[in-house]
Amino acid sequence: MAWIAENRQRSVPTDGTPALTESLKAHLRETYFPRYPTRRAVLLPALHAVQHEYGWIPPQALDELAAFLEVSSGEVLDTASFYEEYWLKPKGQFLFQVCRSFACEMMSMCEPGRSCGTRELSNHLQKKLGIEVGQTSDDGRYTLVELECLGACGTAPVMLVNDVLYENVGTETIDQILANLPADPHDFHDPTVTWQEKAH
Amino acid sequence: MPIEPVLTKRIPLDPAQRKTYWYDDYIATGGYASLRKAIDTPPDELIKIVTDSGLRGRGGAGFSTGQKWSFIPKEKKGAHYLAVNADESEPGTFKDRYLLDYDPHQLLEGIAIACIATQVDVAYIFIRGEYHRQAKVLERAIHEAYEKGVFGQNGVYGSKYKVECHLHRGAGAYICGEETGLLEALEGKRGWPRNKPPFPAIAGAFARPTVINNVETLCCVPHILERGPAWFKTMGTPSSPGPKLFGMSGHVNKPGVYEDSLGITLDYAINTLAGGMKGGKFKACICGGISMGVLGTNQLDVKLDFDDVRFKGGCLGLGTAGMIVMNEHTDMVLALRNCVRFYSHESCGQCTPCREGSAWMRKILDRIVDGRGRAKDLEMLLELEKTMGIMPGTTICGLADGTAWSTRTFINKFYDEFAARCPDEPTKSVSLKVTRGRMNVVTPMGSNTR
Ligand SMILES: Cc1cc2nc3c(=O)[nH]c(=O)nc-3n(C[C@H](O)[C@H](O)[C@H](O)COP(=O)(O)O)c2cc1C
Ligand code: SF4
Ligand code: FES
Repeated sequence: MAWIAENRQRSVPTDGTPALTESLKAHLRETYFPRYPTRRAVLLPALHAVQHEYGWIPPQALDELAAFLEVSSGEVLDTASFYEEYWLKPKGQFLFQVCRSFACEMMSMCEPGRSCGTRELSNHLQKKLGIEVGQTSDDGRYTLVELECLGACGTAPVMLVNDVLYENVGTETIDQILANLPADPHDFHDPTVTWQEKAH
Repeated sequence: MPIEPVLTKRIPLDPAQRKTYWYDDYIATGGYASLRKAIDTPPDELIKIVTDSGLRGRGGAGFSTGQKWSFIPKEKKGAHYLAVNADESEPGTFKDRYLLDYDPHQLLEGIAIACIATQVDVAYIFIRGEYHRQAKVLERAIHEAYEKGVFGQNGVYGSKYKVECHLHRGAGAYICGEETGLLEALEGKRGWPRNKPPFPAIAGAFARPTVINNVETLCCVPHILERGPAWFKTMGTPSSPGPKLFGMSGHVNKPGVYEDSLGITLDYAINTLAGGMKGGKFKACICGGISMGVLGTNQLDVKLDFDDVRFKGGCLGLGTAGMIVMNEHTDMVLALRNCVRFYSHESCGQCTPCREGSAWMRKILDRIVDGRGRAKDLEMLLELEKTMGIMPGTTICGLADGTAWSTRTFINKFYDEFAARCPDEPTKSVSLKVTRGRMNVVTPMGSNTR
């Protein structure tokens, strides 16, 4: 729930090395500063960039972003804590996000006993990964989340594994995905993105 | 009634044959011809053409697009912005994903034309964070468009109009689909919808005049320019002209996105487009994203346009035309609980009736689902529902109206099923009229006239 303020107070561990590296700063300065009339508007892309780098957004990065974008750290935390996609605590290497909204949940009832919807998927994943919804496995490899509509209701039930969307998922699909996950999450790509990514 | 595909002319029905049309493919199939035409047409004339076509917004509210553009000040005193709403998070809606995946330049052409018409300097495409592939498609398409001279400081194809276009990724919040919530997110703040007025056309993004349009709306624009408003009106109904993407999902044999004219019947959409019911007989259908409410078992003859769904169907409106079809095995209490859970989760928390109301409604529904429903529960749900939304005038944005209308239509149309789960029949009769409210206020979700 976006509006519930959690107690996010924690010490900012720092060994002196900045979380916001020079190359990250250069990237933000060159790509995003010219796009917006204010510095604060760079905040969302900047948080995405930090999360892309570390897999989550360390508290230290929030403070450094505030200084870099010339806004207060309160404002940075205000924005960062509102959006569910930003992880302010570490998550697993592979993030399983199962859609639990209308079309996906109702799929269970299409042909009772035979069809697969959110509940079946989520239960199967919990059993396979040995974690409950919202938890991360002890080895830091998996995190399981249920979230709202992913905008693919026509192929319900669906789930996201990191950046990759799986449609018409069944329990066998999950077994297959798990068996084929690479050791390094950086080797995990959407097979339908066949072009080289570049930005103007 | 089937029409020749317009928006989906580059997207075949068979998924195996679909591919993304990049710049060269797009040009080869007649793309960007309308943009060249737009360069030579005075902006006022462009707005008039779009107004004459009767195009209504495809993002949910159904507001006249030409009229929206005409609100932008003609005399330019600073930057103007365009915010493209690609946040698509309404459960049941997946049409924009489809347009972005396969035909990104159709959108970019629509954007460039809209920018010329309303003297916009910078267009931001606000795409939801979970659309990873679509964001990558757009990044590449925008890059191509810059290289080929559509965007950039050299002017659109060398003309005097200079347009910039950037992608802005959201981060997982439904409320950023609401137009002013979107603007806040664009400015780097939490996505809290703004009080109106001032309207975005006067003070929107960065306090400058801003147009906000849905992806599908903008995709219609190049076609209107190419073939004229009269042609556009040959499709659909007089009050809702044009083609529309219908997202069919749920218990049907062939779910997917289908293009047809506005005003087809629900029966046609289910049985002809989506291949008929799966797993059992028809029971109910969400009529345009869950916010619009539900059509009942005897409403298969409702026409799917902006008015009939509302006045005959008793729903809030056509919304995004994302239909979730349910068969006889569907548990309506569970279905409503899912809707209300969604709203209580996605409420941004600014307005008390929305934040607290939806949370309590969710608790009540949890109780009913658990088999602990009480006689008073249904009455309580209907009372709570009446207190929230733009229509009774208690909230800032229309999210709360979604909570209200889904609750109202589900309980009203399937009353017996709910009552059976709440053992003693409520003693008082239940009135569904909105009793208090501001008079005749036109809101983004429609006018408050009842
Ligand atoms: C709670 C809420 C969520 C909305 N979500 C979306 C959305 O995801 N996509 C969209 O295009 N419009 C959405 N809208 C409608 C927008 O506020 C706005 O009316 C629309 O983007 C205007 O574009 P149009 O005139 O082209 O339809 C939403 C509205 C509300 C109240
Ligand atoms: S109605 Fe709900 S979502 Fe909309 S502004 Fe108010 S609290 Fe936020
Ligand atoms: S409800 Fe699951 S993708 Fe829309």
